[in-house]
Amino acid sequence: MATKAQVLKAREPRSASRSLLLTLPIALWSLLMFSGWFKQPNRSQQIAGIITVVFMVILFFMMMRTWSTYRWRRWFFVALGVLFPVGFIHQVLVMRGTMGIPIEEMIAGRTPFCFIPIPLLILPAALYKTVVFPGSILPGGGMSGGGMAAMAGIWLAITIVVGKGWCSYACFFGGIEEGMASVPAKATLRKIDPRWRYGPWAVLLAMTLLSLALFEPAYCMWLCPFKAVSEYVAARNTVGMVQNGIFIVLFAGLVIALPLLTKKRTQCAFFCPFGAFQSIFNKTSVFEVKIDRARCTPCVLCQKSCPTLSLTEESIAKGETLMSCMRCGACVDACPKGAVVWHIRGTEVAVKPERARLMFLYAAWAMAIMFGGSIIADGLATILHVFV
Amino acid sequence: MRMLTAKLGYTGAGLTVFAAVLAPFLLYGLFTKGFSSLGLHIDEMYTGGPTVRTVQAAGYAIVIHRPVSPHMLQREKSFVQLDWKPVSALPLHVSDLVDIDGDGKPDVHVSFDVPKDPKARLHVDVESLNPRYEAMRNVSKEKFSALIVRVNDVVLVRVPVAH
Repeated sequence: MATKAQVLKAREPRSASRSLLLTLPIALWSLLMFSGWFKQPNRSQQIAGIITVVFMVILFFMMMRTWSTYRWRRWFFVALGVLFPVGFIHQVLVMRGTMGIPIEEMIAGRTPFCFIPIPLLILPAALYKTVVFPGSILPGGGMSGGGMAAMAGIWLAITIVVGKGWCSYACFFGGIEEGMASVPAKATLRKIDPRWRYGPWAVLLAMTLLSLALFEPAYCMWLCPFKAVSEYVAARNTVGMVQNGIFIVLFAGLVIALPLLTKKRTQCAFFCPFGAFQSIFNKTSVFEVKIDRARCTPCVLCQKSCPTLSLTEESIAKGETLMSCMRCGACVDACPKGAVVWHIRGTEVAVKPERARLMFLYAAWAMAIMFGGSIIADGLATILHVFV
Repeated sequence: MRMLTAKLGYTGAGLTVFAAVLAPFLLYGLFTKGFSSLGLHIDEMYTGGPTVRTVQAAGYAIVIHRPVSPHMLQREKSFVQLDWKPVSALPLHVSDLVDIDGDGKPDVHVSFDVPKDPKARLHVDVESLNPRYEAMRNVSKEKFSALIVRVNDVVLVRVPVAH
C-alpha cells in the first residue's frame, strides 16, 4: 500500500490559457458536429445542442487543465447512460405506444439495432449470408431509420479509432453502472474472485454458438440487462414473460446492485459479450495504458481503481494492463507516482506520456462528441420539450 | 530500431486522429456501404421468404410466399406466408380458398375479420384441405410460424407446414 510519503505532490494545474488552446480544436469540432442541431426549428433541440456542446467542451477543458481523464470522462459517460434511455424510450413510446416490440414490428424489420449483437451475428452471416435479427440492413429500418449497416458502420469507424475504448467513450449502456459504481464512497464487497473476469468470454462463446443454433440473437432474446431500459420482446406468451423477468433481474443485479456494492462496472467486467469481443481490438489500437516499472512501487491502487478488473499483480509486474482494459483512465488518475501512463505502441514507456494522452483524447473525444454527444442532446431535447 | 518503431507509433497515432476526423464524413459512410454490399439478407423467419406468385381476388391480391423452414434448433415450425393486400380493398370479413402449391386445388380455407381500427388485434381460422398444411383456430400472433398480423397495408397470415 502507498504511504503518504510515497504519494507525489498533486500536479499543478495546466495554465488556463494553454488549456484553452488545447481545447480549441475540440470546441471547433463540437460546433461542426452540432451545426445541424442549432438550425433545428424546434427550440428544445437548439437548446439541447447548445448545452451538449458546452458540456463536452468544458469537460475536455477540465481534462486539459487538471491532467485528469477519468473523473471528467465519467460525467460524460454517466450523462450518456442516463439520457440514452430517456430519448430512446420516448421515441419508442411515441412511435408504437409501448416498450415491448410487437411481432409485426419485427416482421416489418423495424426493430432498433444496437451494437451488442454484432459479434453474435457474424457466424450466421458468414455461413448462411443471413442476419438473424428482425431489423433491416439498409437505411429505412430501425428506430433511427439508419438500418443495421449504419450501426455497423459507426461501430467499425469508432473501433478503428479507439479500439476497446468504445466501452468508455461510445457505449450508451455502461454509463448507468458507472454512475451506480460512483455513488458509494467505499465498496462493500471487496473480495471478487478473479475468475469472474472470464465471464464475458464465456457469455460471448455461449451466445455466439446459441445464436447460430437457434438462429436468433440469443443474447438480446434472453440475457441483455439493458432491455429493461430500452425495449423488450412483447410478452406474447409464457416464454416472453420469462425473458422479460430475466432482463429485469439481470439489470437490477448487474447494473444497479452489484456496482453499488463493488464500485465496479460489473455488467461490463463479468457479463457483456460485446465487451469481450471488443477486447480483441485492443491489439489493433496504437493507444494503450502501460506501467512504468521503474516508478511503480507497487501500491496496487491502480488495480483497486480499475472498474473492470483489468489489472492484476502479474500484469502490473509486466508493466501492462489486461486486454479487457477499456482506456477509461481510472488507473492513470489513481497512481500516486505517475507510473501508470498513456502510451503509444512502439514508443518508449513513460516518455512524453502526456503527448500520448492528448493524441488519444483528441481521437476519443471527437468520437464521443459525434456519437455520444448526439445521444445526450437527444435525451436532453426530450426533457426540455416538456418545459420549452 | 527504437527510433523507427517510435516513428511508426507516432505515425499510427497521427493516422488514428486523422481517422477520427474523417469518421463522420467518409469512414462511416464507406463502412455502411461496405456492409450493405455484403449481400446479406434478414432471416426468412422474420421476412417470410420470397414471393412465389400472386393470386387476384375480388379487388385485392393474395401473395403466396415460398415455404420457410427453421434452421437447426430454431424454435419455430416450417410455415408458408400469405399476404392479403391492400387492406383498404379487403371486405369486412375475408373468406378465401387458397391454392398454395399451385396444383389447381385449394389447400387451405382462410377466414378472418378486418376491423377498421388498424391497431385492433386480428384472429384467423385456417381450415386445412391438404394434410401438408396445419389447421389453425382463432390464432392471433403468438408465434412467428402461426399468426395473423397487419404490417403496413398488408394482412399477413402464416400457416404452419406439417412435417
